[in-house]
Amino acid sequence: MDASFVEDAAAVRRAMEYYADQGWTDGLPVVPVTESYLAEFLAQTGRDPGDVLLAMPQLNRACTVRLAAINAALAGCRPEYFPVVVAAWESLAAEGYPVKGIWQSTTGTAPFLIVNGPVRERIGLNSRGNVFGSGFRANATIGRAIRLGVINAFGLRPHELDQATQGTPAKYTFCIAENEEESPWPGLHTEFGLTASDSAVTAIITRSCVHIEARHTRAPEQLATDIAGTISRTGALIHETISAAVVLSPEHARLFASAGWSKSDIARFMYDHAVRTGAELAAAGKEAVSSKTRWRLPADHPDALPVFADGPVRVLNSPAAVLVVVAGAGNAGVSAVVETFGPRGGPPPVTVIATRLP
Amino acid sequence: MADGILLERAGLPAVSICTDPFALTARAMADAYGFPGFEYVSIPHPVASLTEAQIHARVRDMLPDLLRILGVE
Repeated sequence: MDASFVEDAAAVRRAMEYYADQGWTDGLPVVPVTESYLAEFLAQTGRDPGDVLLAMPQLNRACTVRLAAINAALAGCRPEYFPVVVAAWESLAAEGYPVKGIWQSTTGTAPFLIVNGPVRERIGLNSRGNVFGSGFRANATIGRAIRLGVINAFGLRPHELDQATQGTPAKYTFCIAENEEESPWPGLHTEFGLTASDSAVTAIITRSCVHIEARHTRAPEQLATDIAGTISRTGALIHETISAAVVLSPEHARLFASAGWSKSDIARFMYDHAVRTGAELAAAGKEAVSSKTRWRLPADHPDALPVFADGPVRVLNSPAAVLVVVAGAGNAGVSAVVETFGPRGGPPPVTVIATRLP
Repeated sequence: MADGILLERAGLPAVSICTDPFALTARAMADAYGFPGFEYVSIPHPVASLTEAQIHARVRDMLPDLLRILGVE
């Protein structure tokens, strides 16, 4: 190793320590950013550096394209990842909860990013084994670019404006690609008006990721019931209803598809079978709903609306509250429920990744 | 905190109420609104799970502080 490299490495370490001292990190080291390096990111988008991607008027702060680029560079993104980061911010703005202030909430959420289309191969986004885990630069740094933007553009730091009681490990990064190649169904983005040749990001606010072990069955109803039982756990119920992204491994996806189930059949089954009896809800003190907040509480609470249902109570407001995505390796009957925040319906914020034309 | 500061700025006397664990956030929010010295009432945690009688007790306990900040003689 020659002397100039040692000297450069020392300068990089000093820069990293400086950034850490300023509070510009998530706790891990960040990549030093210069104007010339920033320009490489900005060159990847047709958007003006001053364009606002997401504004939080209650904080009088906004994330511009320039701030998004700085934080993508800090996060360790390569410049060619930047169009995905821009689309992720646009998707989060459309998603709604961040603008309303969910990142200040005690709930402690994180953005869950799902990437579809040819960009996955182009930048090396992992959609297969360890899809929620570490080891892939694009997944790791695109999710982190959003997190650092939340910290640095909005000043949402823990113990200050970020009031999360516990938070979630997903805050560091939570970005997957759909495994379109091993999925029996068309990609998520094509369900909402895009074509397979488009690339897109869908960003959804999430609280938890719960895994489902189901290696034992070939019956789609049994597997679906296992998943529905996970969706309907009472601990997730803060509001009257919840929502979920069901992330199926290719093995589970094929099990459903070979029995003739479509993604919407799965969503419909979840709507009908993600239920709790009134007695089960009452045992957790969540059988009623507040007249003011629609949060769940006991029937004897002064704000409680009368409880009529004694039989099964749905925890989803519609089949549209469930997204079905295929990701992971095709090596085991393991899937996951990503618990998305709040009641949902209608289409998710699928956002096209726009790249600058050559 | 934001609501309290905005109401005060609109000329409506207001007092923000937080529970004790929110002290750091309350100060950060006041700073974000350019009102670092904004006075507010801090009460014990929690509130969400209290009974009606306990809520009444919380209000009784905080009233002197609340009236002081409002400037009620």
